[in-house]
Amino acid sequence: MTKHKIQMSKLSFLILSFGFILCFACLPAGRNFVICHLAFAQEGNRLVVLSKQIIEARTAQELYAPFEEIKDLYLKENKFTQFLDYLDSLGRNRKELEPFIDYYSALTRYQQLKFLEANQSWDEYFTRGASYRDKVTVGTQKAIQATSPTDTLHIYARLLAWQFHREQQDVFAEQSFSDLLNSVAEYAKGPTDIKPIKEVADKLFTYGEKAKARQLYKVYAGKIVASGLKDDELRDIAAGFYKEGNLELAEPIYDAYIDRIANAVQKEKIISGLAEIARVFAYQRTGPSDMLYAEKIFQKIEETGGRGAFDEGLMYLRCFNLEKAKEYKKAKDLYEDLLALFPLTTHSDEATYKIGIIHTYILRDLKAGREYFERLAQKKELSPQSISGLYQLGLLAQWQSDLTGAKEYYNKLIGLAGNNFADTAALARERLKEIEEGRVIEYNLKAFLDVALEGRASLFDAHKLELDSSAYKAKKDESINISSLASAGETGCMQVELQYLWSGHTGSTGNPALNESSFNTSYIPGTKEINLVVVSASGVIDHNIEMVDIY
Amino acid sequence: MKKFCLAIIFLLTFIFIGAGCASGPRVYIKKLSLGRYRLIVNGRPYIIKGACYNPIPIGKNYEYDWWSDPAKPWLVDGKLMQEMGLNTVRFYQAHNDSQEVRNVIRDLYERYRIRTALGSWLGFWEYPGPFYGDKDFQEKIKKEVLDMVGAYKDEPGLLFWILGNENNYSIAGQVRPWSTDEIDKEPDPLKRRAMRAKVYYSFVNELARQIHRIDPNHPVGLGNGELIGLDTANQVCPDIDFVACIIYRGKTFGNLFNSLKATFDRPLVLSEFGADAYDAYLNKEDQNAQAFFLQSQWRQIYENLAQNKEGAGNALGGIIFEWTDEWWKHNEYDAGGWQVQDTQAGWSNGSYYFDIKAPDNKNMNEEWFGIVALSPDEKEFGLDKRSPRKSYYLLREFWKNPVLGRKNKKVKSK
Repeated sequence: MTKHKIQMSKLSFLILSFGFILCFACLPAGRNFVICHLAFAQEGNRLVVLSKQIIEARTAQELYAPFEEIKDLYLKENKFTQFLDYLDSLGRNRKELEPFIDYYSALTRYQQLKFLEANQSWDEYFTRGASYRDKVTVGTQKAIQATSPTDTLHIYARLLAWQFHREQQDVFAEQSFSDLLNSVAEYAKGPTDIKPIKEVADKLFTYGEKAKARQLYKVYAGKIVASGLKDDELRDIAAGFYKEGNLELAEPIYDAYIDRIANAVQKEKIISGLAEIARVFAYQRTGPSDMLYAEKIFQKIEETGGRGAFDEGLMYLRCFNLEKAKEYKKAKDLYEDLLALFPLTTHSDEATYKIGIIHTYILRDLKAGREYFERLAQKKELSPQSISGLYQLGLLAQWQSDLTGAKEYYNKLIGLAGNNFADTAALARERLKEIEEGRVIEYNLKAFLDVALEGRASLFDAHKLELDSSAYKAKKDESINISSLASAGETGCMQVELQYLWSGHTGSTGNPALNESSFNTSYIPGTKEINLVVVSASGVIDHNIEMVDIY
Repeated sequence: MKKFCLAIIFLLTFIFIGAGCASGPRVYIKKLSLGRYRLIVNGRPYIIKGACYNPIPIGKNYEYDWWSDPAKPWLVDGKLMQEMGLNTVRFYQAHNDSQEVRNVIRDLYERYRIRTALGSWLGFWEYPGPFYGDKDFQEKIKKEVLDMVGAYKDEPGLLFWILGNENNYSIAGQVRPWSTDEIDKEPDPLKRRAMRAKVYYSFVNELARQIHRIDPNHPVGLGNGELIGLDTANQVCPDIDFVACIIYRGKTFGNLFNSLKATFDRPLVLSEFGADAYDAYLNKEDQNAQAFFLQSQWRQIYENLAQNKEGAGNALGGIIFEWTDEWWKHNEYDAGGWQVQDTQAGWSNGSYYFDIKAPDNKNMNEEWFGIVALSPDEKEFGLDKRSPRKSYYLLREFWKNPVLGRKNKKVKSK
């Protein structure tokens, strides 16, 4: 230490001592040390005010807020040791402060360990880690023992203990988890602040304990519901959680809201309320959706008002939602109902075509599929789907070696299409050329037809190949991404060489290459089916089909 | 003087008799009661605390001959390994120059008491090939393997042999496919698979049998990806001493230990396992996740050692994949890429759930598996500077004081 530094050090000491004495002189003895400590630490007036609040607090409930704020002031700047010094300076002469000091000491060391991890300061992490971990364990235990499950601090101490043990993967992880859940259950019985319940649920959710998180969200939702809010307020709270993307919480509150309105209002109002919720959760391109929850609400609408409760738009939404949830059989049944109930629906051709596709390629019922394609083919008014219906009829005939029949369908299609429906007309021309040149159907498409129509259903049920579109409703020429994910079986860290046999409507991109698991494309209007078969060196892995609607 | 001479004679006699009594294989596996196994090395129990070792420097690929590197990376790494408590390294295949290999094995053993598990790919990466059903191919591989055994069997630092790695995945035909005319005639794909399994495992057993004839001092392990195919091995592999499994199951090995007992009752060496230190979803290094997985995996290995009566008792230890990162692995043909630690994941494994939401679910970053990172900017001892990751320190602590997860029991570390 240089002479200058020594002199400065002495000077600082004198100033500090003077300040210390001044504080002792000015303030009542029981409080002065804390305030002085803060003054010397120069943490600002806010700390002084908060410390005063701590000193003057009459109940444990009043202690929590100032402690939290002080903790934030220190720890946001990673002043772990200073905060611990501050906590120590509070002294333990007031019994109600002890659990807070213990809890916040534990929390500080826990966050310090996190900080060291984030900064990869492994030397400190491993040389001092054991003592820091002891502090976490001891501090949380003391705080837990000194409080009861009706105290907010107890819940937070239990939560911290569980987080810590879980991350340590130690022997106490399981026990601390069940202790936490039991404590929250006990806590929830009382008329207390419900915020900790949500915070615990949020944390459980983050840590992947989704089932338990859902249970706590239900408890939290139950407390909100029981809090005497009006129906509309309840709905707005649910909508708020939906907007936050917290569907786990939005759904039980909506459920409670639905239970309330079911008993309280007229049938029409119930149905319109339910329809509003169903629309929120049904498939949509942006924002969160839960298609199965939406279908649950659709079922409630049906239970309440029968099929008559659905207007055309709502009925179509239900069909489309089920189709996108890949509940194909139910979707097909409902599309059939849509056609029966609303024969003039604007979605008639789309629904008919989709029923044909589902029958043919998913349920493997060619006869039924053909019937729907025939219905489209018979229509006088042309649409992209009626043209596609003709193409499907031609394709099925060609695959079954009825080349005369296939040619008829393709020629009819090309004649009717004229300069329109260019994508499907181009496919028909390709097929015609194959027939005229005596060739078999193009390899990728033939592979798809063979697997989808003839392959062993038990082996190729589309479960080993996911096929998705970035949008299932898109505008003409809008760019969308079609992607796939194949499960090739166990091969360790060796990548299996896969080939992607794309066929059907692949849009503006043309024919994606064999090694492309996804592609970007755009379309002209219509319902576009995209086919895929994935093969490895050992043979076919699986197939799948997806439909995208372009307007 | 007479008394002194007598004492010397007595002492020498005692030593010779003692040595005679202690004769037998230097390394062997002892079968205990209740289907437990213990690895014995020079008369003492040995828990394998190992790492796969392939110290390819930044800017080079697998063709780089590190065995003759004048900077001798194994000396720098060996010291770090010893400080950590690691006692075993695994080489997938020996280098062509047997003297260089001997030097490495000796340096590691004599300086740091680190033993070597030496393996052979069994021609898995040969092009064209591998033709396990072809007699000429089999003879070629057999000669290579027996030459290897002949060259290193007397090295005091040698621990055991490992035949193959994940070669069994070729049996399903998805990677490195091979067949025979007879197999091709079989129309049923499941029967074809069974036929290939029989051919492959019979061949490996024959190698093991021949190794035992020339080297009774070291056990022979069957390298195997997961437990796939071991039902066949159970029928045709009586000469295999242990299974060297390559397992990537994330946090836990699940029922692996008991499943092996039921399928092919042999002791188990986790010969390749671990976790990468890169989060492909958040696109950043994640040493914590790697340490989290490795700690959990090692706990489970220790729970299933012979001395822990609550486990399966068939684990002999583990060999982490791997010691240092290898910067060439994402694209072995792109020399420019070897200078950069690629952050693009190469394969998908949902068991490593932290980053499974990465694009295309590809979350396994092949260039980030080291428990020791390499520095591109700093050289030390003529090598890319080594920076141990969290896993290094964590395992150092665990091996010193192996506290198990479930029962809060400590296992005595040898």
